[in-house]
Amino acid sequence: MKMIMSLMFFTFSFSFYFVAAFFYLGFWVFKKKWLGQCATALAYITLLSTTMVLVSRAAESGHAPFSNLYESMVLFVWAINLGYLVMEYRHKFKVIGAFVMTIEFVAMLSASLLPYKFKSAEPLNPALQSKWNWLVDLLRHAGLEKYAIGWLDFHVFTTFVGYAAFAISFGLSIMYMLKDRSERRGAQGAFVAAVPDAYTLDELGYRAIAWGFPFLSVGIVSGAVWANYAWGTYWSWDPKETWSLVTWLIYAAYLHARVTRGWRGRRAAILSLIGFIAVIFLYWGVSFVLPGLHAYA
Amino acid sequence: MPDKSKKGQAHQIEGGGASRLKTLGSKVWYFFNSLKLTLTVLISLAVMSVLGTVVEQNQPIASYAAKYGAAWTKLIVYMRVYDMYHSWWFLLLLVMLTLNIVVCTFERFPPKWKSLLNHKKDKFDPKLIDRLSNGRTFIVEATAVSVRQRVQEVFKKKGYKVMTFDEAGGYGVYAWKGIIGRFGSDFTHISLLLILIGSMLGTAYGYKGYKDLNVGSVMDSPSGDYKLRLDKFWIDYYDSGQIRQYNSVLTVIEDGKEVLTKQIWVNEPLYYKGTRFYQSNYGAAWDKIEQAYLALYRKGADKSEKPFTVKWGESAAVPGTRYSVKLTGYAADFYYDEKTRAMGSISADPNNPVVLVEVWEGKKPVSSSLLFQKYPGIFPAIPGSNYDLAFVNYRPTLFSGLSINNDPGTNVVWAGSIVMGLGFVFAFFVYHRRVWVFVAASGEGEWDVKLGGMINKNQLIFDRELKDIAGFISTGKFRS
Ligand code: HEM
Repeated sequence: MKMIMSLMFFTFSFSFYFVAAFFYLGFWVFKKKWLGQCATALAYITLLSTTMVLVSRAAESGHAPFSNLYESMVLFVWAINLGYLVMEYRHKFKVIGAFVMTIEFVAMLSASLLPYKFKSAEPLNPALQSKWNWLVDLLRHAGLEKYAIGWLDFHVFTTFVGYAAFAISFGLSIMYMLKDRSERRGAQGAFVAAVPDAYTLDELGYRAIAWGFPFLSVGIVSGAVWANYAWGTYWSWDPKETWSLVTWLIYAAYLHARVTRGWRGRRAAILSLIGFIAVIFLYWGVSFVLPGLHAYA
Repeated sequence: MPDKSKKGQAHQIEGGGASRLKTLGSKVWYFFNSLKLTLTVLISLAVMSVLGTVVEQNQPIASYAAKYGAAWTKLIVYMRVYDMYHSWWFLLLLVMLTLNIVVCTFERFPPKWKSLLNHKKDKFDPKLIDRLSNGRTFIVEATAVSVRQRVQEVFKKKGYKVMTFDEAGGYGVYAWKGIIGRFGSDFTHISLLLILIGSMLGTAYGYKGYKDLNVGSVMDSPSGDYKLRLDKFWIDYYDSGQIRQYNSVLTVIEDGKEVLTKQIWVNEPLYYKGTRFYQSNYGAAWDKIEQAYLALYRKGADKSEKPFTVKWGESAAVPGTRYSVKLTGYAADFYYDEKTRAMGSISADPNNPVVLVEVWEGKKPVSSSLLFQKYPGIFPAIPGSNYDLAFVNYRPTLFSGLSINNDPGTNVVWAGSIVMGLGFVFAFFVYHRRVWVFVAASGEGEWDVKLGGMINKNQLIFDRELKDIAGFISTGKFRS
C-alpha cells in the first residue's frame, strides 16, 4: 500500500513539533510576546498536520487509523496536542508548551523509529472489523459505506483521549513537584519561576484527570460492548482489560482521596504519577510482557 | 458521627440480646460508612487484579508447579490464585465495595440532598461574603436602577438563577447554577451498583455454550423451544490471501416454520429471544465430506483418466465402464483397531484421509473398499477386474463453530454504564456555583457592592468568572 501522503504529513508534523518546542522554549527564556504567539500558531499548525496524518492514513488503508502501534502513537500525540491547546486557550499559560512540544517531538521520533511490522497498514482481521450497521446504512446513500466506523474505533479513540489527558496530568504533577519544592525553599530558579504557581498546577492536574477518567471509562465500556459482539462476553479478565481496570481503580482512588479526604498537592501528585505508570504499562507493557487477546491498543 | 454512635452503644449494651444485635449492626454499619475503607478496597482491588495478570490464569496446575515450585503452587491452589477473579476473597472485596457504596449512599448523601433542595431557604447574610476567600467589595458609580438592572442581567447572561432579598439599607442577591453537578457522584455510585448487579445476574442465570454445526444440520436452542439450521458457511479473503471474514447463514425454525434467516460473522451475532449466536470457530468435519473426486485407472495404462465427482451418500457412474460407485464413509485421519476391527479417525485433522466406497455393476454389488488419498492402490477397489479407482481429492464438509450466550445481566450492565456516563457529565463538567451580592448605598449615586461565591470544584475558572461579574456590575459590560 502506498503511504505517501501520510508519510509527508508525518514528516511535517514531526518537524513542526521540533520548531514549536524551540519557540516555546524561546518564549520561556526571553519572554517576548511575539515568540509566544509564533509558538502557539505553530502548535495549531502541527495539530492540523497531525490530524492530516490520521486522515490520510485512513484514506490509504481504508479503515480507521487506529490499528497498529504506530498509528496509535500518532493518535496519542494528536490528543495530547489538542488537550494542551484547549488548556492553553482556557488558562493562558504558555510556558508548559515547552514541555509538551518536546515530549510530542520525542513521541513522534520514537513512532518513526518503530520496526516496520508495527507500522505497516495491514488489512483488518475478522475480529477487528466492527462497524455500526446504522452508520453503514447511512453512508451507503453517499456510496461511502467503506468509511463506516464501529465500536472498536470508538473504543480506541476514547481510550487514547483518556491516556492523553492522563499524560497531561502526569506532566503537570511533575511540574507541581518541582514548583512546590522551590516555593517551599523560597529560592526559585529562573525557569521554575516562569511556570504557574503550585496551586494552579495542582488544580490543573486534577482537571486533566477529570477529563481522563470519564474518557477511560467510556473506553472501557465501549471495549466491553465490542467484546460482547466479537467474543460473546463483555468482560473476560484478559490482561489488557484487567490493567485498564487497575488504572481506572487508581484514578478512582485519586478522585476520592482528593474530593473526600482532601488529598491535594504532593500526595495527589504522587497518586497521579502512579496512575500514569499504570497507563504506560497498559499501553505498552501489557502488549509486550503479558499474553492476551489485545494486539496493541 | 463517631461520637454519637459510641454513645449509642454504651446505652444499648444494657438493653440485652436484641439491642446487642443492634449494636453489632451499627458497628458493621459504621465500618462500611468509611471513606478510608473505600480507598483501601479500591487499592486492594487494583493490586489483586495486577497479581491476576502476573500469575497466568486457568492454566493446568502442573504448569504452576513447573514455574513457581511446589510450595508456591500449594499457596496458589489454596488461595485459588489460578482462578483469582472467581476466588472467594476477590468476590469478598467486590461485596465490600458494594456494601460500602450502599451504606455511604444511605448515610452520607441524604443530608447533602436535603441541604441542596433547601438551599433557597438559607438566610441571606451579608457578613458571609466577607468570610469567603474570594469575597470582595467595590464601589460602583451609577443610578440605583441601573445597578439593580446590571446585577440581574449579568446573572441572566451567565445562566444563573437569581433570588433577591430586600434588606434594611440595601438589597442582597443570591444566584446559583449547576446544582445537578452535585448529584453526579450519586449517579455514578448507583450506576456501579447496577453494573455489579448486572454481572451477578449474568453469573447466576447466564448460559454459555458452544456447538459445532455442519452445513445443512439442525440444532436445538438452549431453551429447546426453537431450532437453528446452518445453511451456509464460507470464508472471505483479501486479495493478499489473508482471511477477511468468516460467515454463516443461520435459519431459526420455530414450530416447524422458518421464522428468520440471518447472515452472521465475527462481530455480528444472531440475536433471537434473548440468546446470541456468535461466529467463533470453523473447521472441516472429520467423518463426512461434501464430495470426493475419484479417478479411474486402467491396468497397463500409465496415467489415470480424468477425475469424476461423487457426492456424499449418492451414486455416480464411473465414466467409460459399467460400474457405479457410492460414497458411504469418510475418515480424516484413518485409524484401525486390530482387536475390535473398528475403523475411525484418530483426530479431526486430515492427516490420512480415506473414503469408503461401494462399487456396483448395474444392480449387483461388487465390492466395498477403502481408498486412501495418500496411498493409492494398496487395496484394489474393484477386485478381479481391469480397473482400479484412486481417491484424488475431496471437498470437505465445513462446520461452523457457534458460541451461544444468554446473559440476562448484560442489559443491566449497559444501563448502568449509561447512568455512569451521565453521572460523569454532571460530576466533572457541571459545577455547582453560588454567588452572593450585597448592594448598599454609600453616597450620592455611589454603591458599595460586596460580592463573593462558592464553587464545588474548578476554582480556577470561578475566580475569573467572579472577576467578570464584578466587572459587569461596575461598568455595565464585560471586558473583552
Ligand atoms: C469504583 C468505585 C467508585 C467509583 C468509580 C466512584 C466514583 C466517584 C466519582 C466519579 C466521584 C466524583 C468525584 C469528583 O467529583 O471529583 C465520587 C465522589 C464520591 N464518592 Fe465515589 N466512587 C466509587 C466508590 C465509592 C464508595 C465505595 C464510596 C463510599 C464511601 C464513595 C464515596 C464517595 C463520596 C463521599 C464522594 C464525594 C461526593 C460528593 O462530593 O458529592 N465512592 N465517586
